[in-house]
Amino acid sequence: MNNLTNNNNNSNINNSNEMLDDSSDQINDTLTQSFSQMNVDSPNELEPQLSRQHEQQINSYNNSSNSITQNNRSRSTLIFDDEEDEGPYYNENNGEDDVLSNTSSQFSEDSSISYSDEPTTPASQQQQQVQQQQVQQQQQQQQALLQQQAQQQQAQQTQKSSTNSTMVPVDIVWQQGGNKAYVTGSFTGWRKMIGLVPVPGKPGILHVKLQLPPGTHRFRFIVDNELRFSDFLPTATDQMGNFVNYLEVVAPTTTTPTTTTTSTNDQFVSNEGTTPATTEEATPENKKQKKTIPMSARSRIAMEIEQEPDDMGDGYTRYHDEALSKPDLEFTQDIPAVFTDPTVMEQYYLTLDQQQNNHQNMAWLTPPQLPPHLENVILNSYSNSQGENNENNSGALPIPNHVILNHLATSSIKHNTLCVASIVRYKQKYVTQILYAPLQ
Amino acid sequence: MNSPQDSIEKIYVEQKLAVESIRSFLNSKTSYDVLPVSYRLIVLDTALLVKKSLNVLLQNNIVSAPLWDSETSKFAGLLTSSDFINVIQYYFSNPDKFELVDKLQLNGLKDIERAIGVEPLDTASIHPSRPLFEACLKMMGSRTRRIPLIDQDEETHREIVVSVLTQYRILKFVALNCRETNFLKRPIGELNIISESNVKSCFMTTPVIDAIQLLSQNGIASIPIVDENGVLINVYEAVDVLGLIKGGIYNDLSLSVGEALMRRSDDFEGVYTCTKNDKLSTIMDNIRKARVHRFFVVDNDGRLVGVLSLDDILRYILVGEK
Repeated sequence: MNNLTNNNNNSNINNSNEMLDDSSDQINDTLTQSFSQMNVDSPNELEPQLSRQHEQQINSYNNSSNSITQNNRSRSTLIFDDEEDEGPYYNENNGEDDVLSNTSSQFSEDSSISYSDEPTTPASQQQQQVQQQQVQQQQQQQQALLQQQAQQQQAQQTQKSSTNSTMVPVDIVWQQGGNKAYVTGSFTGWRKMIGLVPVPGKPGILHVKLQLPPGTHRFRFIVDNELRFSDFLPTATDQMGNFVNYLEVVAPTTTTPTTTTTSTNDQFVSNEGTTPATTEEATPENKKQKKTIPMSARSRIAMEIEQEPDDMGDGYTRYHDEALSKPDLEFTQDIPAVFTDPTVMEQYYLTLDQQQNNHQNMAWLTPPQLPPHLENVILNSYSNSQGENNENNSGALPIPNHVILNHLATSSIKHNTLCVASIVRYKQKYVTQILYAPLQ
Repeated sequence: MNSPQDSIEKIYVEQKLAVESIRSFLNSKTSYDVLPVSYRLIVLDTALLVKKSLNVLLQNNIVSAPLWDSETSKFAGLLTSSDFINVIQYYFSNPDKFELVDKLQLNGLKDIERAIGVEPLDTASIHPSRPLFEACLKMMGSRTRRIPLIDQDEETHREIVVSVLTQYRILKFVALNCRETNFLKRPIGELNIISESNVKSCFMTTPVIDAIQLLSQNGIASIPIVDENGVLINVYEAVDVLGLIKGGIYNDLSLSVGEALMRRSDDFEGVYTCTKNDKLSTIMDNIRKARVHRFFVVDNDGRLVGVLSLDDILRYILVGEK
């Protein structure tokens, strides 16, 4: 993004053209980030994630002016992102990933369960997607603009901290003896082993600090050439039946200053009680970031731009997008009458009808669109993987994204039997209960 | 050190230490610890018709499911293949009651039990935070060969069914995750864990209803099928009953066992045999690799000698020899 110096000498129109070009990079960029914020342990995310990164790399090579910063970013996410759902022992489920990634297209199958509280037509879905994309694009353009300008001052610094915002430092500790310890897990695709180093002053305790994307990670230790698991970390059985350690990395919340490490800390302290070694500490860099800036890198940049003078010299003034200015709204505790008083509600809908009279009559009668994350039903991937091998006798499922918890999924009623499913937390694990009941 | 006596002694000690190590491992972990991070659990409402519950089991490729009484909001026991066996037996002796059998709900299964005079199944359950060893002890000798994990909801104090552990799941878990199983090198013939006396068997030509009656009367999960020389040729399992009455059809009870086996699905694991000279380490290796629920012990000519069930193996690991 060194082309900023050119922008200053160009006209405003040219400037916005540049922005459009850049925005495509930015979309890729943020998509990668949001993908790594999603639950990377579930194999469904594997394909889109990798392809996005690939795309991003290509982009960064094409666009030589962007290559430095872009490469920085893609590398830091690539290290731990090549997720594959593979057991520590078995390499034979290569086909399974393909099967799983196809599942989203098979909702209409008999055995499948889908969230159905609205009659979704493919056309309206598409329409919405297009709309979403447009909105996204607009936002990306703004962000592109913001970043371009901010990087003039602090290109390197901000890049670093915005990368950190997607990764969470996690201290992995082995405290059950041994000379040489390694950790391997879902974050390295179970292939690479990461060496642990002794903790000075604490004999027999080894640790390594990893930057992990938020989500659930499964791992095991290799201690003196033996595959082991830690007794001091939560345990579970994976889809192959192997006993593994796992931990849930919580994404740093950008709104509160007491972020990442304290929240994960609490979680594990309460879980482990007497084991100090499983706690996580912030890296000095991170600590600094937390103390001074209680907001995301982007919003910080935005704030700094606000403070700069609008006059950019040479007769140019800063370009203000309309959406940037905050609408003059206030939060209130009162429930609007439209939700409480039936007569007001009726009036409201009648007005709506009159406004859009010709094309979308009674549009308010159709329920709103289902959020896209609810379309991905992990149960549907189960029935597919089941046919391949009978290894999975404990009913293990992919790890659900948190947003789909406590939703009720249902299948179509067949033979007077209703089948509903809901994913709930049980302690630190997820139970997908499927209840078959007759219609009375 | 090199004399045969010494190496036998060494194997003996190693096996003893290995079993102790497995026991302490099972004691150190709870049932909750071994659950996957995310898993499914299929629960059936007790108001569901029996024939429909059969379809649900077959569709989901499972042989058992916990029941839920939605009126009392309570766990209502497990549905297993033995329930279907009871219904078959009831219908066979009361062929005029087809209407009743056809409209039978899961909560009516207890009446069937009473009508044909069989013992109700054990209703033991355990809290998920109890040690795995305790859960295994409760499963030992259980006719359902499984144990439901029941907890209470923190807010409503109502029962919640967390999961169901089976004997196979535990043994597979041990086989996969305890390296000590490699040291179980004594021949199983030495361990006094094989059931040899009173092993029931049938022929290919035996009527399937007789085989089903044998399963029910002896509380066993399978009947080995032998030829006239006593050579093991196949097995009729309790879960094969599910395929027999698929779709609520009870017309095929006059079939022979051989004919009934034609309805078995293609993914049948096969019949596993072993000899008295095989080691428990080999047995555990097979449990790890395949969904096997018993080993038939045969002699060198393939004649049936005894049965080594999962219950026998579990009992040996938990409490030692019979």
